[in-house]
Amino acid sequence: MTESEIRESISAYIRERFLGGDHKGELEETSPLLEWGVLNSLNTAQLIGHIRVAVGVKIPAMEVNPENFRDVRSITALVTRQRTAAA
Amino acid sequence: MDFDLTEKQRKFFDDILGEVRTRLGSSNTPDGQHFTRAQWKTAADIGLTGLCLPTEYGGGGLGALDTALCLEAFGQGCPETGLVFAVSAHLLACAVPVRDHAQAEVRGELLTGMARGDLIAANAMTEDEAGSDVGPLAMTAQRTGDDYILHGDKSFASNAPLADLFVTYAVTAPKAGFLGVSAFAVPAELPGADAGPLFDKMGLAGCPAGRVSFRDCHVPAEYRLGAEGQGSAIFQHSMGWERACLFGGYLGMMNRQLEECVRRADSRRQFGRRIAEFQSVSHRIAGMKQRLESARLLLYRACWLMDQEREYTSAVALSKLAVSEAAVANSLDAIQIFGGEGYLRHVGIERQLRDSVPTTLFSGTSEIQKELIARELGL
Repeated sequence: MTESEIRESISAYIRERFLGGDHKGELEETSPLLEWGVLNSLNTAQLIGHIRVAVGVKIPAMEVNPENFRDVRSITALVTRQRTAAA
Repeated sequence: MDFDLTEKQRKFFDDILGEVRTRLGSSNTPDGQHFTRAQWKTAADIGLTGLCLPTEYGGGGLGALDTALCLEAFGQGCPETGLVFAVSAHLLACAVPVRDHAQAEVRGELLTGMARGDLIAANAMTEDEAGSDVGPLAMTAQRTGDDYILHGDKSFASNAPLADLFVTYAVTAPKAGFLGVSAFAVPAELPGADAGPLFDKMGLAGCPAGRVSFRDCHVPAEYRLGAEGQGSAIFQHSMGWERACLFGGYLGMMNRQLEECVRRADSRRQFGRRIAEFQSVSHRIAGMKQRLESARLLLYRACWLMDQEREYTSAVALSKLAVSEAAVANSLDAIQIFGGEGYLRHVGIERQLRDSVPTTLFSGTSEIQKELIARELGL
């Protein structure tokens, strides 16, 4: 999976699961997910599960911090780093 | 696949069960009163307050499965389930975060104190408006120089009225949502940290619980656990340990309860025969056994996955759900088997029910466990 495919997979999951489909197209790569309350503890756990299944990357608990989960861009960067580290 | 405990595991289970039965096996505490410092020190002397803490600080150095086995022996041998719960909460919700995330300046002193039983710890996370959802946490921690100033109120803090140390969580970055939370180990003697009066609870009377208030409480920065913003991850990690290992104590309680029910069914006679000869009684006990054994398998597997550093979220949720719901169902069955006597306080059977009801609430309600399981299934 390329980095852009990872980004799209994460965006699509957030749109579908947490934003009711995001029919107005409000989710952007830099939308502040924590500040908007899109990512709460349960949603974040669910997203991490999706990343594990869809991308095959396990996110260590201590990487779950405000910098890494600020927006789709930072989450994508985290997943890419973890995948490189595991390779 | 091997379902047997190792010889070493059997030995320390038997050793702890023997020690607990001898030293904490008779209930000297009137129902309704919490544990004493002397009982706590006895538990520490047996090694129960530091099971999974590093050996260099006086702990047992055990993993999750061995810790759960020891707590199972504790729960089986000690009729004071409130004490078993209090020690387990101290160890799993408080000492585990200190073990894994405390800074070098304070880590050794805190772990040694907690393992030896000199420090009793209370987990202060819950707030009036933040239970299962920690997002609306209101307590704040503002950095000023070398200190954080903590300000806010916590509730349902087990051990709090007797605690020497509070492991607590506060917002350090309000815009970061639930990831703007940081964790702290706060010595109870610091000015501004105060435990409120005892809660009057339905069960677990042996474990005192109450509110904790922090009013402009200056906490030196070295007492922060982990980095700023890691509070949520630290809390979830400690809840993994608590949801898995603490419930070993309830397996022990259910095992003791089952033995009591078998003895009762075998000795009580009605209509000229042992009540065990009535299938309505013996099958009820068989159902209790089935719930206990299936819950135990789930718990051992969850702890084993933790020790293997494998994904354990769903397995721990399944285990917690199974043990807690079995504890409530079996305790209701035990009352039915004991009949009218089971309803009398001095017999000790109804107390097991009161001690079991909160298991479906603390460490994440049954509803939250089902939510976690469903979400892991992709629902």
